[in-house]
Amino acid sequence: MTGYWLGWALIAGAAVVVYFTRAVFIVPGSHLKLPPLAERILRYAPAAALAAIIAPDLALSHGALALSADNPRLVAGVVAFAIAAATRNIVLTIVGGMLALTAVRLLAG
Amino acid sequence: MESATLSAGRLSAFRDGAASSVSLLFGMVPWGLVAGLAMVSAGLTPVQAVVMGLLVYAGSVQLAVLPLLIAKAPLWVMYATALAVNLRYVIYSAVLAPYFARLPRPWRMLLGYVMVDMMFALFVGRFRPDDGARHKHWFFLGGSALLWLGWQAASWVGIFGGALVPRAWSLEFAATLSLIALLVPLLYDRAVVVGALAAGTVALAGAGLPLNLGLIAAIIVGVAVGLAASRATRRAKGA
Repeated sequence: MTGYWLGWALIAGAAVVVYFTRAVFIVPGSHLKLPPLAERILRYAPAAALAAIIAPDLALSHGALALSADNPRLVAGVVAFAIAAATRNIVLTIVGGMLALTAVRLLAG
Repeated sequence: MESATLSAGRLSAFRDGAASSVSLLFGMVPWGLVAGLAMVSAGLTPVQAVVMGLLVYAGSVQLAVLPLLIAKAPLWVMYATALAVNLRYVIYSAVLAPYFARLPRPWRMLLGYVMVDMMFALFVGRFRPDDGARHKHWFFLGGSALLWLGWQAASWVGIFGGALVPRAWSLEFAATLSLIALLVPLLYDRAVVVGALAAGTVALAGAGLPLNLGLIAAIIVGVAVGLAASRATRRAKGA
């Protein structure tokens, strides 16, 4: 499949998956109460998925582990975590993270 | 007369919902913008990006799957990731169902499409399923319509403005940073933190695996570790 058609397949599938998660109980109009175990799984999965996407993006450089202060993405990610925890503000988190990324790159020359 | 007062009630609930959601726009607009930027930098055409915004309308899912599109991951891995990231909506859907259970089916299908985190929180904080407020679905629709418009407009700015930004600025990293902004508020107790740490570690260890299986393994291990941690915590509390 070419990238173009893969794009359409992603859009169609993601649309179905997202609509399912939003509408699954609203559309049938059920009064179902989720069992506590199910609710816990539903709460842990998004955090696990996001962490699994973020970690390689920050800590891998060309496929190798890069856990040092001269890895710009790692430093920027740590800065962004701190800002997000302190402010819960997405704009500040992005701006602070991008500034940190640029600063480390400039320092590294 | 009866129908005139009825429609006036609907209109005022719709307006009230929109007015109450104006401040939430500040939270929605950056997500739309970053999602728009991420879609074009992942190689989608502008038409594809606009259609994705309209059909998917979930910034977190779009930001999470687009790096997988760049990495040419298999479709099923992208779908599974979209599902995992959006599972929180299943909880919202279960909470909202009793509010809307008596509405006609087209209404429930529409509200299922427009529902987003922030509107859910505002609505549940303000109404109860059996509080006698007859037009609360119009309130929900009014707020949701405003947020939808704000998000779509911001997404288009990202889609059509993103092409003008030089590559050297590494704007695709803004997508990762916004996922961090999304993850932090989810880390509300120790079990979630432990699960997320486990998932991150497995993702790093499994980064070289074919078919992005490291990502799927990370999500499964993260959930399992989170569950085990919550069980241990509750046992320690004697509950």
